[in-house]
Amino acid sequence: MSKTRTITIANRGGATYEVDARRPLLDTLTEQGLDLPYGCKYGGCITCAAKLTDGQIDQRRQVALNNRQLGNGYVLMCVARAVTDCTFEIGVESHDRLYRNPFLDPLQPHELKADIATPKDT
Amino acid sequence: MDGTCCGPGYASPAEAIKAPREKLLYTIAIYTGTGIQKPDYLATVDVDPDSPTYSQVIHRLEMPGIGDELHHMGWNACSSCHDDSSMARKYLILPGVRSNNLHIVDTATDPRAPRLHKVIDGAEIKSKANLSGPHTVHCLGSEIIISFLGDAMGEAPGGYLHLSKDFEIVGRWEESMGDIKFGYDFWYQPRHNVMVSSEWASPNTFMPGFDLEEVGHLKYGRELHFWDFEARKPVESMYLGEDGLIPLEVKFHHDPDSTHGFCGAALSSNVIHFWKSDAGNWEWEKIIDVENEPHPEWPIPVPGVMSAILVSMDDKFLYLNNWLHGDMRQYNIEDPHNPVLTGQVFMGGLLGKAPVINGVEMAGGPQMFQLSLDGRRLYVTTSLFSTWDNQFYPEIRERGGVMVMIDCDPVNGGMSINEEFIVNFGTEPNGPSRCHESRYPGGDCTSDIWL
Repeated sequence: MSKTRTITIANRGGATYEVDARRPLLDTLTEQGLDLPYGCKYGGCITCAAKLTDGQIDQRRQVALNNRQLGNGYVLMCVARAVTDCTFEIGVESHDRLYRNPFLDPLQPHELKADIATPKDT
Repeated sequence: MDGTCCGPGYASPAEAIKAPREKLLYTIAIYTGTGIQKPDYLATVDVDPDSPTYSQVIHRLEMPGIGDELHHMGWNACSSCHDDSSMARKYLILPGVRSNNLHIVDTATDPRAPRLHKVIDGAEIKSKANLSGPHTVHCLGSEIIISFLGDAMGEAPGGYLHLSKDFEIVGRWEESMGDIKFGYDFWYQPRHNVMVSSEWASPNTFMPGFDLEEVGHLKYGRELHFWDFEARKPVESMYLGEDGLIPLEVKFHHDPDSTHGFCGAALSSNVIHFWKSDAGNWEWEKIIDVENEPHPEWPIPVPGVMSAILVSMDDKFLYLNNWLHGDMRQYNIEDPHNPVLTGQVFMGGLLGKAPVINGVEMAGGPQMFQLSLDGRRLYVTTSLFSTWDNQFYPEIRERGGVMVMIDCDPVNGGMSINEEFIVNFGTEPNGPSRCHESRYPGGDCTSDIWL
């Protein structure tokens, strides 16, 4: 399988970038001139979050997203690698479901971060 | 100055109160997490009412890169080296909570236009000291210590970075973290050989935002820690329980002989008072309890979220904020066991009591504040932390942060919003930014400690 993946940015006019599948997307995309936000660069904060709308990524190193955010497609670009060709929405326009008021909209036990989540009742 | 030496600061709190009125104020302003791809910066605000640019940002020092999340800051020197004529209060240290970078800013060469002196790279701090998530900066004689809330991977409890006066990494300051679970703020009182530290959470917990559910999973702090300051070890911890959920800011009295101190528990919205008893034991009690308030759209009442406290230089008044309720309060603490509410104003907040201040539509609520040395002017900003702002006050993206000035009566008590002053960070040249902690060139009510 090729080591290159094609990344499409849906909310930048469908611009495409060829990236090395072994390296974090933040690095490979910013090197090609895409202006992406970031903070900690190790997967511990969500400043760099983008929304994956198609494709598969590997972000096993991230420790900041809870299971609801993961379920909504959020990806921490500073640690994520593309497994397949992917399409993303980037920047704050993609953050519609990233932030929630915890008093208005509680997480269910299975929606917590992985280390404290309990399996969903079936 | 007492005239016998020429080190920084003042001989005593009483001397500090007599210092000339502040004319400039520095506050950090962030773009991290706002959607604007620009560096965070240090803003210089003109607070001289006789100046034509009063109540305006007159200079902006951008950091070298984006994504730092500037937050708190501290001086290289304070009144703790007033006797050391080789020292000067020249540099302000600006940690980036997310990037781990420490920015050393020269504020003395041109106080109106501070310049970047040095950057200590966040990666170097991780590799040499295994620390991340910098928060509180205190100088310590000629040395500097900074609390970090995590290790290099963002796991609690972190520790304390020791910097030399030339901003070289010495290593870890503490001998041991003992059984401490989390770090956050600290203050020390050298005449009693004590330091007190408080607890927020690990960076990996608080940086992404506030999951209330994690409080019950013990991911947030609820303890205060008393240290043997000279031995650099924690010796006693106080479990505050439900009264002390997320104990954040810690302040001792400015009087170096006093053992009385205070901590604001943010989520419980309580003030905890601690002191050394006549028998020589550290004691604590809850002295202020801000009740949760009903909200028309919320299923559960709104906590105040008391993210900061401040003690006036004369130790007579304690100020606190309720970031979600939207009020600033002033308490007379001359009897620290029995505080008396003497002032209260609203500015922003979720309860809708003061949506517009001096013509500016507020986003956020009162958050960080700095009091003038004479106790008459309280400068208050509205942003807490980018991810938390985005959760509770999403409209802050479009409106930005605001700095408000509250006139305070240091004799009889009382507070009122000054109608001549407002700095709207929503109209900054690069778009709406968010202001947080503030400091004055001559030292302030949250920096100086006396030996």
